[in-house]
Amino acid sequence: MDKAMTKDELAAVAAAAGLPRLSDKHLEQLQASVAAADELSRRLPKDFDWTDELALTFRLRAPAGERP
Amino acid sequence: MTDLAFLGIAEAAARLREGTLSPVSYTEALLERISSLNRRYHAFIRLTPELAIAAARQAEREIKEGEWRGPLHGVPFALKDIIDWAGLPTTAHSKLLIDHIAASDAWVSQRLKAAGGVMLGKLATHEFAIGGPSFDLPWPPAVNPWGGNHFPGGSSSGSGVALACGMLPAALGSDTGGSVRNPASMCGIVGLKPTYGLVSRRGVLPLANSLDHVGPMTRSVRDNALLLQVIAGYDGADPGSADVPGGDYLAGLERGVKGLRIGLVRHFYTEDLQAHPEQIAALDQAAEILRQLGADVQEIRLAPLEQYAVCTRIIIRCEAFAIHRPWLATRPDDYGDLARQRILDGAVMSAADYIDALRLRARLTRQTLDAFAGIDVALTASNMDPACRIDDAEACARLYPRQARQPFNVTGQPALAMPAGFTEDGLPLSLQLIGHPFQEAMVYRVAQAYEAATPWRERRPPGL
Repeated sequence: MDKAMTKDELAAVAAAAGLPRLSDKHLEQLQASVAAADELSRRLPKDFDWTDELALTFRLRAPAGERP
Repeated sequence: MTDLAFLGIAEAAARLREGTLSPVSYTEALLERISSLNRRYHAFIRLTPELAIAAARQAEREIKEGEWRGPLHGVPFALKDIIDWAGLPTTAHSKLLIDHIAASDAWVSQRLKAAGGVMLGKLATHEFAIGGPSFDLPWPPAVNPWGGNHFPGGSSSGSGVALACGMLPAALGSDTGGSVRNPASMCGIVGLKPTYGLVSRRGVLPLANSLDHVGPMTRSVRDNALLLQVIAGYDGADPGSADVPGGDYLAGLERGVKGLRIGLVRHFYTEDLQAHPEQIAALDQAAEILRQLGADVQEIRLAPLEQYAVCTRIIIRCEAFAIHRPWLATRPDDYGDLARQRILDGAVMSAADYIDALRLRARLTRQTLDAFAGIDVALTASNMDPACRIDDAEACARLYPRQARQPFNVTGQPALAMPAGFTEDGLPLSLQLIGHPFQEAMVYRVAQAYEAATPWRERRPPGL
Protein backbone atom coordinates (compact mmCIF):
# COMPACT_ATOMS: atom_id res chain seq x y z
CA MET A 1 0.00 0.00 0.00
CA ASP A 2 3.06 2.30 0.08
CA LYS A 3 2.74 3.24 -3.59
CA ALA A 4 1.03 6.52 -4.36
CA MET A 5 -2.70 6.12 -5.00
CA THR A 6 -4.56 8.06 -7.63
CA LYS A 7 -6.94 10.80 -6.65
CA ASP A 8 -9.89 8.61 -7.64
CA GLU A 9 -8.59 5.74 -5.54
CA LEU A 10 -8.14 8.02 -2.55
CA ALA A 11 -11.62 9.48 -3.03
CA ALA A 12 -13.01 5.93 -3.04
CA VAL A 13 -11.14 5.15 0.21
CA ALA A 14 -12.51 8.36 1.73
CA ALA A 15 -16.05 7.54 0.64
CA ALA A 16 -15.77 4.06 2.10
CA ALA A 17 -14.69 5.64 5.39
CA GLY A 18 -17.74 7.92 5.33
CA LEU A 19 -15.85 11.07 4.28
CA PRO A 20 -17.43 12.38 1.07
CA ARG A 21 -16.27 16.00 1.34
CA LEU A 22 -12.50 15.76 1.42
CA SER A 23 -10.74 18.28 -0.81
CA ASP A 24 -7.64 17.52 -2.90
CA LYS A 25 -5.49 18.75 0.00
CA HIS A 26 -7.32 16.46 2.41
CA LEU A 27 -6.90 13.54 0.03
CA GLU A 28 -3.14 14.16 0.06
CA GLN A 29 -3.33 13.88 3.84
CA LEU A 30 -5.30 10.67 3.45
CA GLN A 31 -2.49 9.31 1.28
CA ALA A 32 -0.10 9.96 4.16
CA SER A 33 -2.56 8.26 6.51
CA VAL A 34 -2.66 5.16 4.32
CA ALA A 35 1.12 4.96 4.53
CA ALA A 36 1.06 5.55 8.31
CA ALA A 37 -1.59 2.88 8.87
CA ASP A 38 0.36 0.42 6.76
CA GLU A 39 3.54 1.11 8.70
CA LEU A 40 1.79 0.73 12.07
CA SER A 41 0.22 -2.52 10.93
CA ARG A 42 3.67 -3.87 10.00
CA ARG A 43 5.01 -2.89 13.44
CA LEU A 44 2.29 -4.78 15.34
CA PRO A 45 3.30 -8.20 16.74
CA LYS A 46 1.94 -11.03 14.61
CA ASP A 47 1.83 -13.79 17.19
CA PHE A 48 -1.70 -13.31 18.53
CA ASP A 49 -4.19 -16.15 18.41
CA TRP A 50 -7.71 -16.80 19.60
CA THR A 51 -6.57 -17.25 23.20
CA ASP A 52 -5.37 -13.63 23.42
CA GLU A 53 -8.11 -11.66 25.16
CA LEU A 54 -8.68 -7.95 24.45
CA ALA A 55 -7.77 -5.25 26.95
CA LEU A 56 -11.39 -4.11 26.88
CA THR A 57 -13.87 -6.71 28.04
CA PHE A 58 -17.60 -6.13 28.14
CA ARG A 59 -18.91 -6.46 31.67
CA LEU A 60 -22.35 -6.29 33.23
CA ARG A 61 -23.13 -5.50 36.83
CA ALA A 62 -25.72 -7.37 38.81
CA PRO A 63 -28.66 -5.18 39.82
CA ALA A 64 -28.42 -3.72 43.30
CA GLY A 65 -30.52 -5.34 46.02
CA GLU A 66 -32.28 -8.68 46.32
CA ARG A 67 -34.23 -10.13 43.38
CA PRO A 68 -36.74 -12.98 43.59
CA MET B 1 3.29 40.49 42.90
CA THR B 2 5.93 37.79 42.41
CA ASP B 3 5.10 36.66 45.93
CA LEU B 4 1.47 35.94 45.01
CA ALA B 5 2.27 34.77 41.48
CA PHE B 6 4.30 31.80 42.65
CA LEU B 7 2.35 31.02 45.79
CA GLY B 8 1.44 27.35 45.98
CA ILE B 9 -1.95 25.92 46.93
CA ALA B 10 -0.78 24.79 50.37
CA GLU B 11 0.79 28.15 51.24
CA ALA B 12 -2.16 30.10 49.84
CA ALA B 13 -4.66 27.93 51.71
CA ALA B 14 -2.94 28.62 55.03
CA ARG B 15 -2.93 32.39 54.42
CA LEU B 16 -6.50 32.43 53.13
CA ARG B 17 -7.76 30.46 56.09
CA GLU B 18 -6.05 32.62 58.69
CA GLY B 19 -7.26 35.77 56.93
CA THR B 20 -3.86 37.23 56.04
CA LEU B 21 -4.67 36.88 52.33
CA SER B 22 -7.97 37.92 50.76
CA PRO B 23 -9.37 35.63 48.02
CA VAL B 24 -10.50 38.75 46.16
CA SER B 25 -7.08 40.48 46.29
CA TYR B 26 -5.36 37.20 45.33
CA THR B 27 -7.69 36.67 42.38
CA GLU B 28 -7.40 40.29 41.21
CA ALA B 29 -3.61 40.10 41.37
CA LEU B 30 -3.51 36.93 39.25
CA LEU B 31 -6.05 38.32 36.74
CA GLU B 32 -3.86 41.38 36.33
CA ARG B 33 -0.77 39.23 35.84
CA ILE B 34 -2.56 37.08 33.26
CA SER B 35 -3.69 40.19 31.34
CA SER B 36 -0.13 41.40 31.22
CA LEU B 37 1.60 38.09 30.34
CA ASN B 38 -0.96 36.32 28.17
CA ARG B 39 -0.21 38.50 25.15
CA ARG B 40 3.23 36.92 25.08
CA TYR B 41 2.57 33.36 26.27
CA HIS B 42 -1.04 32.63 25.15
CA ALA B 43 -1.78 30.24 28.02
CA PHE B 44 -5.43 31.33 28.30
CA ILE B 45 -7.84 31.34 25.40
CA ARG B 46 -10.68 32.64 27.59
CA LEU B 47 -10.52 34.60 30.84
CA THR B 48 -13.62 34.70 33.06
CA PRO B 49 -12.92 37.62 35.42
CA GLU B 50 -16.56 38.21 36.45
CA LEU B 51 -16.98 34.56 37.36
CA ALA B 52 -13.67 34.60 39.21
CA ILE B 53 -14.39 37.73 41.26
CA ALA B 54 -17.86 36.45 42.19
CA ALA B 55 -16.39 33.13 43.38
CA ALA B 56 -13.61 34.94 45.25
CA ARG B 57 -16.12 37.20 47.01
CA GLN B 58 -18.20 34.20 48.03
CA ALA B 59 -15.09 32.44 49.34
CA GLU B 60 -14.07 35.54 51.27
CA ARG B 61 -17.49 35.79 52.90
CA GLU B 62 -17.61 32.09 53.78
CA ILE B 63 -14.08 31.97 55.22
CA LYS B 64 -14.79 35.06 57.33
CA GLU B 65 -17.90 33.35 58.67
CA GLY B 66 -15.88 30.28 59.62
CA GLU B 67 -17.14 28.09 56.79
CA TRP B 68 -13.76 27.04 55.39
CA ARG B 69 -14.33 24.27 52.85
CA GLY B 70 -10.76 23.00 52.56
CA PRO B 71 -7.44 23.81 50.90
CA LEU B 72 -8.93 24.81 47.54
CA HIS B 73 -11.28 27.37 49.12
CA GLY B 74 -10.56 30.75 47.53
CA VAL B 75 -7.71 29.33 45.42
CA PRO B 76 -7.66 30.26 41.70
CA PHE B 77 -7.43 27.55 39.05
CA ALA B 78 -8.20 27.06 35.35
CA LEU B 79 -9.25 24.25 33.02
CA LYS B 80 -7.87 22.89 29.77
CA ASP B 81 -10.49 23.84 27.22
CA ILE B 82 -11.80 20.35 26.66
CA ILE B 83 -13.33 20.32 30.16
CA ASP B 84 -16.91 21.56 30.52
CA TRP B 85 -17.89 24.43 32.77
CA ALA B 86 -21.64 25.07 32.49
CA GLY B 87 -22.42 28.24 30.54
CA LEU B 88 -18.92 28.64 29.05
CA PRO B 89 -17.75 27.51 25.63
CA THR B 90 -15.74 24.29 25.45
CA THR B 91 -13.89 24.79 22.18
CA ALA B 92 -11.07 22.23 22.25
CA HIS B 93 -9.09 25.13 20.71
CA SER B 94 -10.92 24.45 17.44
CA LYS B 95 -12.98 26.42 14.96
CA LEU B 96 -15.35 23.46 14.92
CA LEU B 97 -16.55 24.09 18.47
CA ILE B 98 -16.05 27.83 18.69
CA ASP B 99 -19.75 28.37 19.55
CA HIS B 100 -20.23 25.23 21.62
CA ILE B 101 -21.52 26.18 25.08
CA ALA B 102 -21.32 23.54 27.79
CA ALA B 103 -24.76 22.70 29.17
CA SER B 104 -23.46 21.33 32.45
CA ASP B 105 -20.30 20.96 34.48
CA ALA B 106 -17.80 18.19 34.05
CA TRP B 107 -17.46 16.00 37.13
CA VAL B 108 -14.11 17.60 37.96
CA SER B 109 -15.63 21.08 37.57
CA GLN B 110 -18.35 20.12 40.04
CA ARG B 111 -15.70 18.95 42.50
CA LEU B 112 -13.67 22.13 42.15
CA LYS B 113 -16.78 24.30 42.59
CA ALA B 114 -17.80 22.35 45.68
CA ALA B 115 -14.29 22.81 47.09
CA GLY B 116 -14.67 26.60 46.75
CA GLY B 117 -12.06 27.05 44.01
CA VAL B 118 -11.98 30.23 41.94
CA MET B 119 -12.30 29.54 38.21
CA LEU B 120 -10.14 31.92 36.15
CA GLY B 121 -10.88 30.67 32.64
CA LYS B 122 -10.08 28.18 29.91
CA LEU B 123 -6.58 27.18 28.86
CA ALA B 124 -4.99 26.57 25.49
CA THR B 125 -4.69 23.00 24.23
CA HIS B 126 -3.58 21.32 21.07
CA GLU B 127 -6.68 21.11 18.87
CA PHE B 128 -8.88 18.32 20.25
CA ALA B 129 -5.89 17.37 22.42
CA ILE B 130 -4.11 15.93 19.37
CA GLY B 131 -3.11 18.57 16.81
CA GLY B 132 -0.33 20.89 17.85
CA PRO B 133 1.53 23.08 18.04
CA SER B 134 -0.57 24.67 15.30
CA PHE B 135 -0.68 28.16 13.88
CA ASP B 136 -3.84 27.71 11.76
CA LEU B 137 -6.38 27.71 14.60
CA PRO B 138 -8.58 30.48 16.03
CA TRP B 139 -6.07 31.04 18.87
CA PRO B 140 -2.27 30.92 18.79
CA PRO B 141 -0.48 28.08 20.57
CA ALA B 142 0.78 28.60 24.12
CA VAL B 143 4.49 29.45 24.36
CA ASN B 144 6.92 28.13 26.97
CA PRO B 145 8.35 30.85 29.25
CA TRP B 146 11.54 28.79 29.51
CA GLY B 147 13.77 29.65 26.55
CA GLY B 148 13.24 32.37 23.97
CA ASN B 149 10.31 31.05 21.99
CA HIS B 150 10.00 27.40 22.89
CA PHE B 151 7.47 24.61 22.62
CA PRO B 152 5.73 24.00 25.97
CA GLY B 153 4.73 20.41 25.18
CA GLY B 154 1.17 19.35 24.84
CA SER B 155 -1.58 18.82 24.59
CA SER B 156 -2.26 20.47 27.97
CA SER B 157 0.03 23.27 26.85
CA GLY B 158 -1.87 26.22 28.35
CA SER B 159 -1.99 24.48 31.74
CA GLY B 160 1.79 24.00 31.80
CA VAL B 161 2.53 27.52 30.59
CA ALA B 162 0.11 29.21 33.02
CA LEU B 163 1.74 27.43 35.96
CA ALA B 164 5.28 28.15 34.80
CA CYS B 165 4.39 31.83 34.31
CA GLY B 166 2.93 32.17 37.80
CA MET B 167 -0.55 32.92 36.45
CA LEU B 168 -2.21 30.43 38.83
CA PRO B 169 -1.31 27.71 41.35
CA ALA B 170 -3.49 24.90 39.95
CA ALA B 171 -4.75 23.66 36.60
CA LEU B 172 -6.27 20.55 35.12
CA GLY B 173 -5.09 18.81 31.99
CA SER B 174 -5.84 15.57 30.21
CA ASP B 175 -3.51 12.73 29.28
CA THR B 176 -4.21 10.16 26.53
CA GLY B 177 -0.65 9.54 25.31
CA GLY B 178 1.21 11.76 27.78
CA SER B 179 -0.50 15.16 27.51
CA VAL B 180 -0.31 16.12 31.19
CA ARG B 181 3.26 14.88 31.63
CA ASN B 182 4.69 16.37 28.43
CA PRO B 183 3.94 20.02 29.29
CA ALA B 184 4.86 19.31 32.91
CA SER B 185 8.26 18.10 31.69
CA MET B 186 8.88 20.95 29.28
CA CYS B 187 7.59 23.71 31.55
CA GLY B 188 9.33 22.58 34.74
CA ILE B 189 6.21 21.80 36.78
CA VAL B 190 4.52 18.72 38.31
CA GLY B 191 1.86 16.77 36.41
CA LEU B 192 0.15 13.52 37.35
CA LYS B 193 -1.70 11.08 35.15
CA PRO B 194 -3.75 9.23 37.76
CA THR B 195 -4.72 5.58 37.54
CA TYR B 196 -7.27 5.02 34.77
CA GLY B 197 -10.70 5.39 36.38
CA LEU B 198 -9.60 7.31 39.48
CA VAL B 199 -10.78 10.68 38.12
CA SER B 200 -14.03 10.82 36.19
CA ARG B 201 -13.95 11.91 32.54
CA ARG B 202 -17.62 12.90 32.47
CA GLY B 203 -17.94 16.25 30.70
CA VAL B 204 -14.45 16.05 29.22
CA LEU B 205 -14.26 15.95 25.44
CA PRO B 206 -12.74 12.56 24.61
CA LEU B 207 -9.73 11.93 22.42
CA ALA B 208 -9.60 8.14 22.83
CA ASN B 209 -12.00 6.86 25.47
CA SER B 210 -10.02 3.85 26.56
CA LEU B 211 -6.84 5.85 27.15
CA ASP B 212 -8.16 9.24 28.37
CA HIS B 213 -7.29 10.48 31.85
CA VAL B 214 -7.83 13.83 33.61
CA GLY B 215 -4.93 14.94 35.79
CA PRO B 216 -3.78 17.65 38.19
CA MET B 217 -0.99 20.09 37.27
CA THR B 218 0.77 22.24 39.86
CA ARG B 219 4.20 23.63 40.76
CA SER B 220 4.85 21.28 43.69
CA VAL B 221 4.24 17.67 44.63
CA ARG B 222 2.22 18.59 47.74
CA ASP B 223 -0.05 20.86 45.70
CA ASN B 224 -0.56 18.09 43.20
CA ALA B 225 -1.67 15.71 45.95
CA LEU B 226 -4.03 18.38 47.32
CA LEU B 227 -5.61 18.87 43.92
CA LEU B 228 -5.96 15.14 43.28
CA GLN B 229 -7.64 14.77 46.67
CA VAL B 230 -10.38 17.12 45.42
CA ILE B 231 -10.98 15.61 41.98
CA ALA B 232 -10.58 11.86 42.65
CA GLY B 233 -13.64 9.72 43.29
CA TYR B 234 -16.13 7.27 41.86
CA ASP B 235 -18.63 8.56 39.31
CA GLY B 236 -21.26 6.06 38.22
CA ALA B 237 -21.94 8.14 35.10
CA ASP B 238 -18.43 7.49 33.73
CA PRO B 239 -18.27 3.86 32.55
CA GLY B 240 -14.49 3.89 33.10
CA SER B 241 -14.76 5.16 36.67
CA ALA B 242 -13.35 2.78 39.27
CA ASP B 243 -15.44 2.05 42.34
CA VAL B 244 -12.52 1.86 44.75
CA PRO B 245 -12.06 3.29 48.25
CA GLY B 246 -10.75 6.86 48.18
CA GLY B 247 -7.09 7.37 48.99
CA ASP B 248 -5.40 9.85 51.30
CA TYR B 249 -2.74 11.37 49.09
CA LEU B 250 -1.20 13.56 51.77
CA ALA B 251 -0.88 11.30 54.79
CA GLY B 252 2.35 9.56 53.74
CA LEU B 253 3.92 12.46 51.91
CA GLU B 254 6.75 13.09 54.37
CA ARG B 255 7.62 9.47 55.15
CA GLY B 256 10.68 9.49 52.91
CA VAL B 257 12.03 6.71 50.72
CA LYS B 258 14.20 4.76 53.16
CA GLY B 259 13.71 1.06 52.46
CA LEU B 260 11.53 1.60 49.37
CA ARG B 261 12.33 -0.42 46.25
CA ILE B 262 12.62 1.72 43.15
CA GLY B 263 12.93 0.13 39.70
CA LEU B 264 15.00 2.17 37.25
CA VAL B 265 13.79 1.61 33.68
CA ARG B 266 17.02 2.76 32.06
CA HIS B 267 16.65 0.89 28.77
CA PHE B 268 13.77 3.21 27.79
CA TYR B 269 16.15 6.17 27.47
CA THR B 270 19.53 4.55 26.76
CA GLU B 271 18.65 1.63 24.43
CA ASP B 272 15.11 1.86 23.06
CA LEU B 273 15.68 5.57 22.50
CA GLN B 274 18.86 7.53 23.09
CA ALA B 275 17.96 10.52 25.23
CA HIS B 276 19.79 13.86 25.20
CA PRO B 277 23.01 13.48 27.26
CA GLU B 278 21.95 16.10 29.80
CA GLN B 279 18.62 14.27 30.26
CA ILE B 280 20.40 10.95 30.83
CA ALA B 281 22.73 12.58 33.34
CA ALA B 282 19.76 14.13 35.19
CA LEU B 283 18.03 10.75 35.46
CA ASP B 284 21.15 8.97 36.65
CA GLN B 285 21.68 11.72 39.20
CA ALA B 286 18.05 11.39 40.38
CA ALA B 287 18.57 7.64 40.89
CA GLU B 288 21.70 8.39 42.93
CA ILE B 289 19.87 10.98 45.07
CA LEU B 290 17.12 8.48 45.83
CA ARG B 291 19.78 5.91 46.78
CA GLN B 292 21.41 8.44 49.10
CA LEU B 293 17.99 9.04 50.68
CA GLY B 294 17.81 5.34 51.52
CA ALA B 295 15.92 3.77 48.64
CA ASP B 296 17.01 0.50 47.06
CA VAL B 297 17.30 1.48 43.38
CA GLN B 298 17.76 -1.42 40.95
CA GLU B 299 17.39 -1.57 37.18
CA ILE B 300 14.36 -3.40 35.85
CA ARG B 301 13.34 -4.19 32.28
CA LEU B 302 9.94 -3.69 30.69
CA ALA B 303 8.90 -4.42 27.10
CA PRO B 304 10.62 -2.24 24.49
CA LEU B 305 9.13 1.26 24.13
CA GLU B 306 8.33 0.53 20.49
CA GLN B 307 5.64 -1.97 21.51
CA TYR B 308 3.85 0.48 23.79
CA ALA B 309 4.16 3.20 21.13
CA VAL B 310 2.56 1.21 18.33
CA CYS B 311 -0.18 0.00 20.67
CA THR B 312 -1.03 3.53 21.85
CA ARG B 313 -0.88 5.10 18.43
CA ILE B 314 -3.25 2.62 16.82
CA ILE B 315 -5.77 2.83 19.67
CA ILE B 316 -5.70 6.64 19.77
CA ARG B 317 -6.06 7.06 16.02
CA CYS B 318 -8.91 4.52 15.74
CA GLU B 319 -10.91 5.76 18.72
CA ALA B 320 -10.35 9.41 17.78
CA PHE B 321 -11.56 8.80 14.23
CA ALA B 322 -14.72 7.14 15.50
CA ILE B 323 -15.41 10.25 17.59
CA HIS B 324 -14.58 12.73 14.82
CA ARG B 325 -16.06 11.01 11.78
CA PRO B 326 -19.32 13.00 11.80
CA TRP B 327 -17.37 16.30 11.81
CA LEU B 328 -14.77 15.11 9.31
CA ALA B 329 -17.61 14.04 7.04
CA THR B 330 -19.29 17.44 7.07
CA ARG B 331 -16.70 20.08 8.07
CA PRO B 332 -13.22 18.80 7.21
CA ASP B 333 -11.99 22.32 6.42
CA ASP B 334 -12.68 23.49 9.97
CA TYR B 335 -9.85 21.39 11.41
CA GLY B 336 -6.26 22.57 11.57
CA ASP B 337 -3.91 20.62 9.35
CA LEU B 338 -2.19 18.71 12.15
CA ALA B 339 -5.33 17.49 13.91
CA ARG B 340 -6.95 16.49 10.59
CA GLN B 341 -3.85 14.55 9.56
CA ARG B 342 -3.57 12.65 12.82
CA ILE B 343 -7.28 11.86 13.05
CA LEU B 344 -7.48 10.79 9.39
CA ASP B 345 -4.96 8.04 10.16
CA GLY B 346 -7.77 6.20 11.95
CA ALA B 347 -9.98 6.27 8.85
CA VAL B 348 -7.79 3.75 7.06
CA MET B 349 -6.73 1.42 9.85
CA SER B 350 -8.28 -2.00 9.84
CA ALA B 351 -10.58 -3.31 12.55
CA ALA B 352 -8.27 -6.30 12.88
CA ASP B 353 -5.30 -4.04 13.65
CA TYR B 354 -7.36 -2.19 16.27
CA ILE B 355 -8.30 -5.52 17.87
CA ASP B 356 -4.68 -6.66 17.80
CA ALA B 357 -3.64 -3.38 19.43
CA LEU B 358 -6.14 -4.14 22.22
CA ARG B 359 -4.69 -7.64 22.53
CA LEU B 360 -1.22 -6.12 22.70
CA ARG B 361 -2.47 -3.76 25.40
CA ALA B 362 -3.64 -6.69 27.53
CA ARG B 363 -0.31 -8.46 27.04
CA LEU B 364 1.80 -5.37 27.82
CA THR B 365 -0.26 -4.56 30.89
CA ARG B 366 0.18 -8.07 32.24
CA GLN B 367 3.93 -8.02 31.57
CA THR B 368 4.39 -4.56 33.06
CA LEU B 369 2.48 -5.32 36.26
CA ASP B 370 4.49 -8.55 36.62
CA ALA B 371 7.71 -6.52 36.38
CA PHE B 372 6.39 -4.19 39.10
CA ALA B 373 5.87 -7.08 41.52
CA GLY B 374 9.19 -6.52 43.27
CA ILE B 375 9.17 -2.74 43.42
CA ASP B 376 7.20 0.08 44.99
CA VAL B 377 7.73 2.67 42.26
CA ALA B 378 9.55 2.89 38.92
CA LEU B 379 11.74 5.74 37.77
CA THR B 380 12.35 6.57 34.11
CA ALA B 381 12.39 9.38 31.58
CA SER B 382 9.35 11.40 30.60
CA ASN B 383 10.84 13.37 27.70
CA MET B 384 14.00 12.34 25.89
CA ASP B 385 14.89 15.95 25.06
CA PRO B 386 14.48 19.46 26.38
CA ALA B 387 12.06 21.76 24.55
CA CYS B 388 12.76 22.88 20.99
CA ARG B 389 11.69 26.17 19.38
CA ILE B 390 7.95 26.29 18.79
CA ASP B 391 8.36 27.72 15.28
CA ASP B 392 10.57 24.78 14.23
CA ALA B 393 7.87 22.41 12.96
CA GLU B 394 10.38 19.71 12.02
CA ALA B 395 11.95 19.68 15.48
CA CYS B 396 8.52 19.58 17.16
CA ALA B 397 7.52 16.63 14.95
CA ARG B 398 10.83 14.86 15.66
CA LEU B 399 10.51 15.27 19.43
CA TYR B 400 6.84 14.26 19.56
CA PRO B 401 7.43 10.47 19.64
CA ARG B 402 10.66 10.68 21.66
CA GLN B 403 9.12 10.02 25.05
CA ALA B 404 8.40 7.27 27.60
CA ARG B 405 4.93 8.25 28.79
CA GLN B 406 2.71 6.10 26.57
CA PRO B 407 3.51 2.83 28.39
CA PHE B 408 1.49 4.02 31.35
CA ASN B 409 -1.50 5.11 29.30
CA VAL B 410 -1.46 1.56 27.97
CA THR B 411 -1.30 0.02 31.46
CA GLY B 412 -3.37 2.71 33.18
CA GLN B 413 -0.87 3.03 36.06
CA PRO B 414 -0.36 6.35 37.88
CA ALA B 415 2.58 8.30 36.44
CA LEU B 416 3.99 11.63 37.53
CA ALA B 417 6.37 13.95 35.69
CA MET B 418 8.41 16.52 37.60
CA PRO B 419 11.51 18.73 37.23
CA ALA B 420 14.88 16.97 37.40
CA GLY B 421 17.24 19.86 36.63
CA PHE B 422 18.06 22.21 33.79
CA THR B 423 20.21 22.10 30.67
CA GLU B 424 23.21 24.37 30.33
CA ASP B 425 20.90 26.58 28.24
CA GLY B 426 18.44 26.84 31.12
CA LEU B 427 15.70 24.54 29.78
CA PRO B 428 13.88 22.19 32.17
CA LEU B 429 14.81 18.51 32.37
CA SER B 430 12.39 16.00 33.85
CA LEU B 431 11.82 12.56 35.30
CA GLN B 432 8.85 10.25 35.58
CA LEU B 433 7.74 8.14 38.57
CA ILE B 434 5.25 5.31 38.09
CA GLY B 435 3.28 3.40 40.72
CA HIS B 436 1.05 0.39 41.11
CA PRO B 437 -2.61 0.98 40.16
CA PHE B 438 -4.35 3.26 42.69
CA GLN B 439 -1.13 3.81 44.63
CA GLU B 440 -0.79 7.50 43.82
CA ALA B 441 0.14 8.08 47.48
CA MET B 442 3.33 6.05 47.03
CA VAL B 443 4.24 7.95 43.85
CA TYR B 444 3.75 11.25 45.69
CA ARG B 445 5.84 10.00 48.62
CA VAL B 446 8.86 9.33 46.40
CA ALA B 447 8.31 12.53 44.40
CA GLN B 448 8.12 14.60 47.59
CA ALA B 449 11.38 13.13 48.91
CA TYR B 450 13.16 13.92 45.63
CA GLU B 451 11.66 17.41 45.41
CA ALA B 452 12.73 18.21 48.98
CA ALA B 453 16.29 17.03 48.25
CA THR B 454 16.75 19.15 45.12
CA PRO B 455 16.58 22.88 44.33
CA TRP B 456 14.74 22.69 41.00
CA ARG B 457 11.37 23.87 42.31
CA GLU B 458 12.82 27.22 43.34
CA ARG B 459 13.92 28.31 39.88
CA ARG B 460 11.72 30.71 37.86
CA PRO B 461 11.65 31.35 34.12
CA PRO B 462 13.90 34.28 33.18
CA GLY B 463 12.20 37.63 33.69
CA LEU B 464 9.27 36.17 35.62
